[in-house]
Amino acid sequence: MLQTNNYSLVLALQFLLLSYDLFVNSFSELLRMAPVIQLVLFIIQDIAVLFNIIIIFLMFFNTFVFQAGLVSLLFRKFKGTIILTAVYLAFSISLHVWIMNLRWKDSNSFVWTDGLQTLFVFQRLAAVLYCYFYKRTAVRLGDPRFYQDSLWLRKEFMQVRR
Amino acid sequence: MRAEPGPGLEVGHPHPPRALPPVPSATQDDIPLSRPKKKKPRTKNPPASLEGLAQTAARRPSESSEAPIKELQEHPEAPVQRRQKKTRLPLELDTSFTQKKTSSSSLLRNENGIDAEPDEEAVVQKPRRKTKKAQPVEVQYANELGVEDEDVITDEQSPPEQPSVFTAPTGISQPVGKVFVEKSRRFQAADRSVLIKTTENLDMSMDMKPSWTTRDVALSVHRTFRMIGLFSHGFLAGCAVWNIVVIYVLAGDQLSNLSNLLQQYKTLAYPFQSLLYLLLALSTVSAFDRIDFAKTLVAIRNFFALDPTALASFLYFTALTLSLSQQMTSDRIHLYTPSSVNGSLWAAGVEEQTLHPWIVVNLVVTLLVGLSWIFLSYRPGMDLSEELMFSSDVEEYPDKDTGIKASS
Repeated sequence: MLQTNNYSLVLALQFLLLSYDLFVNSFSELLRMAPVIQLVLFIIQDIAVLFNIIIIFLMFFNTFVFQAGLVSLLFRKFKGTIILTAVYLAFSISLHVWIMNLRWKDSNSFVWTDGLQTLFVFQRLAAVLYCYFYKRTAVRLGDPRFYQDSLWLRKEFMQVRR
Repeated sequence: MRAEPGPGLEVGHPHPPRALPPVPSATQDDIPLSRPKKKKPRTKNPPASLEGLAQTAARRPSESSEAPIKELQEHPEAPVQRRQKKTRLPLELDTSFTQKKTSSSSLLRNENGIDAEPDEEAVVQKPRRKTKKAQPVEVQYANELGVEDEDVITDEQSPPEQPSVFTAPTGISQPVGKVFVEKSRRFQAADRSVLIKTTENLDMSMDMKPSWTTRDVALSVHRTFRMIGLFSHGFLAGCAVWNIVVIYVLAGDQLSNLSNLLQQYKTLAYPFQSLLYLLLALSTVSAFDRIDFAKTLVAIRNFFALDPTALASFLYFTALTLSLSQQMTSDRIHLYTPSSVNGSLWAAGVEEQTLHPWIVVNLVVTLLVGLSWIFLSYRPGMDLSEELMFSSDVEEYPDKDTGIKASS
């Protein structure tokens, strides 16, 4: 069974990483006095997303549902989060690589092209969706039903078996 | 640890290891007690057994509270039986353990027609194991220990009739002066007051723990975020209106003074763009939370039903997309230098071409954000996520569930 203190701690860490992600997405364009500042911000941002992925999977492994072998049930319930997080990470890394590549010599130069603008829009939109789905999943995993045998779980199991 | 001196409930079908004492009352014959019989209704019709269980569970407290009064009236000469009761107690205590634990733990196991017999046997073998799962049961016993002295009955008792569909041995609780605790396979008399003290301490520590569960943490975090979202909706609407007013004021009459706008606004453009993204992201996530966007079908249905909250989410997402699409122009404004300067991004005549669409998009974003705020404030308390996420998921698929029941 998940302990309240542990869950609070994990939730706080997840929200901290989400907040950092949102902060960098919002203000990274302002903080470009030197290219290295942006580089560090971007690296930490991508690592934060990776950390969040690891944490959410560790939370999945901790559930009774997973330990009972119902991995498909967990995947079915949270596939939106898993897929979106992966897509967002891919968008983020590619955008960061592209932007840093263009701005490395002169951080205040105008580097925008249509392609970069498009990738930028998709990455930022994915960031919002990732934030929503990830937050929802993290909050949802606090439900004690995921950590014990229950009528609900048995009904879900019946549906999966069918 | 429930003291049950009364009836030998399993007289018709004694257990192999221990012989049970004779029944003091004839009313016990109606109660089917043997385990083989008990399995039948469960395996054949799981929902019925569940209902029966619930009925007996609900009925038991009232019966046990009424029983002493009733029995006092029926048997006033009973003190003779006191000694016999003490000798019988251990067996009854044992059966009361099994029946309590099985009734609480086998509830879920039986509902799918799974045979509950192995579980029951396991419980019989280890009646005193203190695991975390057994804590609620222990608490119940602890509460039952707190009996007032006047209620302790020494008379002979004849339990009332128990019309039980469920065949678990349901003894009638009846307090005596001593409590019999099993120690190394033997029951020994213990003083009630000592046990009450220890169990009350246990009770206190257990009452503290479940007061703040993970669900409560999740719920409080969700509500905190909703509050932040509520703030950001209003702040965003205000900011957007202020921004568009500043732009039109700086641009002058009929947008005639665009170079002035660029010179004044260039320091403001990028910070505002960043702030706008931050607030739009928060507002969009908050609006998605309110319509529970992850349940796409419900969200789409609400959108087509012109639900204000669903409309607001759509408008926020559109505003976010439009705002992001102006990132390039914002950066261009941020890097503005007059066209006379060498290497300027703003050649002569380009200003109008670039700035007109940018102003229009900003105006549209302001309108969308303002409208969303009005829509959301129409039903500020609406939060489908909280209703759906923290309510029972069993109700999520009512049709499929009935289908399963019908097929099984």
